[in-house]
Amino acid sequence: MTTGSGTRGWEVPVTVAELVNGGPLAGARMYGTGERPVHHVRIVDDLSVFSTVAPHTAVVLIGQAAGGGWAVEMAMRRAWEQAAACVIAPAEGAGTVSGGSSAVLAERLGITLIFVDADPLVTAVEVASAAARPAAARTQLVARCATRLAEAGASARRVLGVLNAELPGTSVAFVDEYGLLLAGRAAALSPGRASGHRAAPSAASEPWPVEVVVRGPDGLVLGRLVAAGPAKSAGWPAVVRTVLSLAVAPLVTWAAAERLAASGDFALQSALADRLLAEAATEAATDVATEAVAGVASQAATGSTAAEAGAPPPETGAKGNRRPGTGAPETSPPAAETDKPETGAPETGPPTADTATETGARAVAQGWAVRGPVAAFMVRPQGRTPDPGDAERVRAVIVATVGQVPVISREDGWAGWSPLPPDRLTERLGAAVRALPWPCAAGVGAQVAHLRAMRDSLLGAQAAAFLAAPGGVARSDRMGPAELLAAIPGSALRAPATVVLQPLLAIDRDGTLLETLAAVLGEGGAIKAAERLGVHRNTVTARLDRIREAGYDLDDRATRLALQLACHVIKGG
Amino acid sequence: MTTPGEPPPERHRPSAYRPISAHQDGVAPEAGMIGQAELAALAAGSRLFATGAAESSFHLTLDWADAVLDKPVRLVAATDLPPDTLCVAITLVGSTTALGEQLPGGGEPTRAVQALERRLGTRSGAIVALNLAAENALLPLITAATLGLPLVDGDGTGRVFPLVEQTTYTLGGISSAPLALAGPGEELVLIETAPDRVEETLRPVVLSFGGWGLAACYPMRAADLARTLVPGTVSMLMAAGRPGALRSAAAPYGVRRLCAGRIVAVEGSSGHGADLAMPSVPSSIVVEESEGLGRLVRLEAHNEIVLALADGAAVAMAPDQICMISSADGMVVDVDKAEPGMAIEVLVLPAAPAWHTDEGRALGGLRAFGVPL
Repeated sequence: MTTGSGTRGWEVPVTVAELVNGGPLAGARMYGTGERPVHHVRIVDDLSVFSTVAPHTAVVLIGQAAGGGWAVEMAMRRAWEQAAACVIAPAEGAGTVSGGSSAVLAERLGITLIFVDADPLVTAVEVASAAARPAAARTQLVARCATRLAEAGASARRVLGVLNAELPGTSVAFVDEYGLLLAGRAAALSPGRASGHRAAPSAASEPWPVEVVVRGPDGLVLGRLVAAGPAKSAGWPAVVRTVLSLAVAPLVTWAAAERLAASGDFALQSALADRLLAEAATEAATDVATEAVAGVASQAATGSTAAEAGAPPPETGAKGNRRPGTGAPETSPPAAETDKPETGAPETGPPTADTATETGARAVAQGWAVRGPVAAFMVRPQGRTPDPGDAERVRAVIVATVGQVPVISREDGWAGWSPLPPDRLTERLGAAVRALPWPCAAGVGAQVAHLRAMRDSLLGAQAAAFLAAPGGVARSDRMGPAELLAAIPGSALRAPATVVLQPLLAIDRDGTLLETLAAVLGEGGAIKAAERLGVHRNTVTARLDRIREAGYDLDDRATRLALQLACHVIKGG
Repeated sequence: MTTPGEPPPERHRPSAYRPISAHQDGVAPEAGMIGQAELAALAAGSRLFATGAAESSFHLTLDWADAVLDKPVRLVAATDLPPDTLCVAITLVGSTTALGEQLPGGGEPTRAVQALERRLGTRSGAIVALNLAAENALLPLITAATLGLPLVDGDGTGRVFPLVEQTTYTLGGISSAPLALAGPGEELVLIETAPDRVEETLRPVVLSFGGWGLAACYPMRAADLARTLVPGTVSMLMAAGRPGALRSAAAPYGVRRLCAGRIVAVEGSSGHGADLAMPSVPSSIVVEESEGLGRLVRLEAHNEIVLALADGAAVAMAPDQICMISSADGMVVDVDKAEPGMAIEVLVLPAAPAWHTDEGRALGGLRAFGVPL
């Protein structure tokens, strides 16, 4: 058969587990690991036949040899002695026997026991065919997956459902760039996945666990498909990779469909973004509450936001592990976890990975950042109130300049958030503001670690947008008096400032007093002001005395503030 | 049939149970006579490996024996009898529970033996046991005492089998028919048929009697008996039943300890015996060995344990007797009384050499119990 890279490893003999999990024995009850490859099939109706059973044979019991628990156990013993691959017994014959003791014996002898519901003779033929042509068997599995994927349509949830159903024993997860689980099973991401390495085939074969990168409609990384679990055979990773690749197209379609739906409907994406923020806020509240109960206090002092402090400490490491291309499995999991066998059932247990909600998954489909660091922005029309009818246009411009970001209607403008660093976001927003048909200003909030802290960042962005010069972009983390004052029309302030400074200006012939006053107030002291002005300290003190003589009480806070503001206005004007 | 499932014996035997050693100690009882004094030892010995004994019926039989043993019975070796002496085997047929409910009238032994004598036209000269499990060890003694005849030291199995025809007598070519069956309600039936039809014919008759009957069967010459019986088993049980004797003393061909462990599951079984007319349903007892390799031992039972698998490998099978001894009280555990959690010891009693011939295996081996091995 073909030697193309797509089917590399497909010729490796199928293992028992493969037969059960994706092959002719699908749905059968299996006891034991099923690690052994199957080379032949032998139908056994009498125990005496066992003396001629070759190693790596799948033994199919019928008739007397399957007549009861005792017969099956004797067959297991003989199969073990002959190094057979597995024993396949009809569930009907052994139905009266609970699988319990047989399972224990399978474990003791290390031989795999399988109960099938179908006619064992039919099973034998199917297994024989799979054993004789492993690539054909694997192709069959891939074909079935393709069919099921086609039926599933463009839904991440359904696609992952198909993958997990058709690749039983293997857990498949769809995660975003940061390792957030969007759909599928968290088991694929658990540290136990490293156990797959034990059975991992030689270096020439596919790596295990398998990862396939999914790129969104815009060519940017949308997420990754990760498949983990016990590697069943040397051929299994190649098959899994192929099946995962088949799932890429439906996932991209899903993302594109979501985006298309949202792009035609401002309200839809706005509502989605609002819901995402609301969920993040709830999460933050829960986290804070938990933290309070746990009495973890130290983190609150780090100066970061509460939500940031609430993020679990190992998160950073976990994120690093799951970044594409960093060779996730090589980073050793915690020692205690290494010995744990892959149970394949952590879905019900404590979550081993952050799991995205339905909303989160849809947001990822939009290409939005659902994980930090993110910064909020706000675009605010100037000289007019935002019209709901403008929203679509504003969003088109913002998305075109800033990238795939949510745009939410706010009372005084349009807000959103972006994973871009604040300076680049500022730059892009500048382009957006220039591109908009009306005079606008924009603000950028401080970058926060997580969506949970988005509210703070949004407030900052809102304030900054309010203060930004027309056509400009202000950053909430870069705002000083100048930016504050810039928000007030200069003409409005000039008159009161002149009034405040009138007594000073009257005696200040060359402007040195005004300059000295500004320096002292700006630097917060005479000594530094002297340095700035390049004069002696006593000169500054002498000038301050003159200012006091003009009637200013420089020890009064209100006076100082008024003077400082007035200085800015007069000097800036 | 002699050992249908009944409540387990609850009485402790006088001596503490000790692990088996093949060594057989003790002296044979005073050769020759069994009186009221020797009865207790025989009774105790008869239960060492016997299953299915119902407590009430056993006591009843014991009282009955005590009542008729005012004149001791002479225990003789088959070879000591004149070769042409007519010997008759005695056995209980049916349920021991029924024996405890339908009380014997006392005349059953006489009626059964005399019916046989009338049919054969010969006076019987000695009584022999079919097997020596519980009541079946006492009824021949009662018969001998009632009729004033000697009891032959030996029996027809060396262990217990469920069917009347499963005896070394059959292996020696002796037919169980003509067979006279006396019931507690003055019934008397004489059955004469081909040897392999006896069991079948007998069963409905026993039911009509009310559940049990006393059978006088295998009429034969003393020379034939001497040739076919497992000799010396009566005196052996008496030796083993005396206080302080080892349990192994009751096993004519030694005892092998298979394993000690705990019952983890009792399952219905299938795949054997479906077409057999056995008085109970197949079951499967799974024992987890608590020592050594910790093997998984499966005991396939059909009326009695017929096959023992350790980790899937056959380690003991019929015609050897496999029995479970409770570690708690040293009593034999009935197959249908086995429950998960019980701590038991599994012992194997090799059968008499006659059973290990081809004919013996056909009559009392695995295939006789429907196990196609």
